[in-house]
Amino acid sequence: MAHTPFQVEILTPDGSVFDDAVEMVSTRTTVGEIGVLANHAPLLAMLEPTELRLYVGEGEPLRFAQSEGYIQVGGNRAMLLVAEMHRPSELDAGALRERLGELERELAGAERDGEWRGAALREQRRLQAFLRVAERPAAAR
Amino acid sequence: MPSQRDVRNRIASVQNIRTITRAMEMVAAARLRRAEQRTAALRPYADAIRRMTRSAAQAAGGASGLPVLAEHETLQRVGLLLVAGDRGLAGAFNSQIVRAGVAAAAACEAEGLTPVFFASGRRPAGSLQFRGLEVAQAFTGFSERPAYADARRIADRVVDAYTAGELDRVEVFYNGYISPISQVVRRETLLPLSQASVMGAEEDGSGEAPSSGEEPKQRALVEYEPDPEVILGRLVPDYIEVSIYRALLESAASEHGARMTAMRNASENAGVLIEDLTLEMNRARQAAITQEILEVVAGAEGLS
Repeated sequence: MAHTPFQVEILTPDGSVFDDAVEMVSTRTTVGEIGVLANHAPLLAMLEPTELRLYVGEGEPLRFAQSEGYIQVGGNRAMLLVAEMHRPSELDAGALRERLGELERELAGAERDGEWRGAALREQRRLQAFLRVAERPAAAR
Repeated sequence: MPSQRDVRNRIASVQNIRTITRAMEMVAAARLRRAEQRTAALRPYADAIRRMTRSAAQAAGGASGLPVLAEHETLQRVGLLLVAGDRGLAGAFNSQIVRAGVAAAAACEAEGLTPVFFASGRRPAGSLQFRGLEVAQAFTGFSERPAYADARRIADRVVDAYTAGELDRVEVFYNGYISPISQVVRRETLLPLSQASVMGAEEDGSGEAPSSGEEPKQRALVEYEPDPEVILGRLVPDYIEVSIYRALLESAASEHGARMTAMRNASENAGVLIEDLTLEMNRARQAAITQEILEVVAGAEGLS
């Protein structure tokens, strides 16, 4: 697949993670999976925790674990604002599994108010997404 | 006239103080560099979130049922969040924030409003209590190295207070970092969104940010997924968090800068003091020698 490259920038509170030309961005919004190519219509959407894939050229795409955030497309550029963005190699599957287990036990046991539950469910989704990225071997996509 | 030994003791103690202030200056300088880097790293993200909040808010057109976006009918209680340090020895860093906060509270009261204090850092919390002012909540223990989670805790608290109707306006005071020797008090309104600083003109830091903000004519064509109102429901709390995180980071950089400068001045003053005391000690020694010679000569004359 040879698409026209366009500029993509990924910003987190800890700085810029990626700023380069790619052919396609593949991620997930609250509405569903999307792939963004060059000359996409202007868009502002909320991102869900998932695996972000950047198709730079031929071969394997760059993979990232993405937490909640926003994507803004306009003027043939895409900007992703996310709270956290990690390369799969930076993730520790064991630690993630442990935290997910803890959280699920808390969720099952506690009878807390709706707000806490909402935050915990969001954290659960983030951990699940990160865990999936951490466990998937790069070759078997 | 103090004796030689008194002066020598004083010189030794001033030298000890200078050693400590020098060490503190070095530590502050090292931490300042890190804090500066973190502030610079956050800036593009914070500016982008602000721009996004502004365009989504304009697209939503103010009509929304979200409590965090609601503008309260009466303005009665104003939340003042003072961001400063846990420790002193940093020049005017802490006191200028407290002074600005107290002045703002007095201005509120003059208008018939009730100020409610929130403090980040032990120093502003302590100063407010010392003045007999009530602090609704103090957040302490992270002023030198704030994490995003700290900002989230503070943001949750003020947003909850706002949506519950306990506060009708939220303002934040912090030391904006300009350079190691210069920090200015910044005052920003966070809520309600229509009055927030974000809705004003382009902020100063936007020059270095990527120029991906759409032109006004393009804005109408942007596709929102889901609706701008729904996006704002999550974007506004994020914007508050980021704004507070930015205030915490800038404040941390300012704190290290202010401490570094204060400690450098203290070291220099100690040096001057040591010189003066050394002079005084030499005088005392010379006086003692002269005295002894006079005594010897007088004794010799008495014998002859």
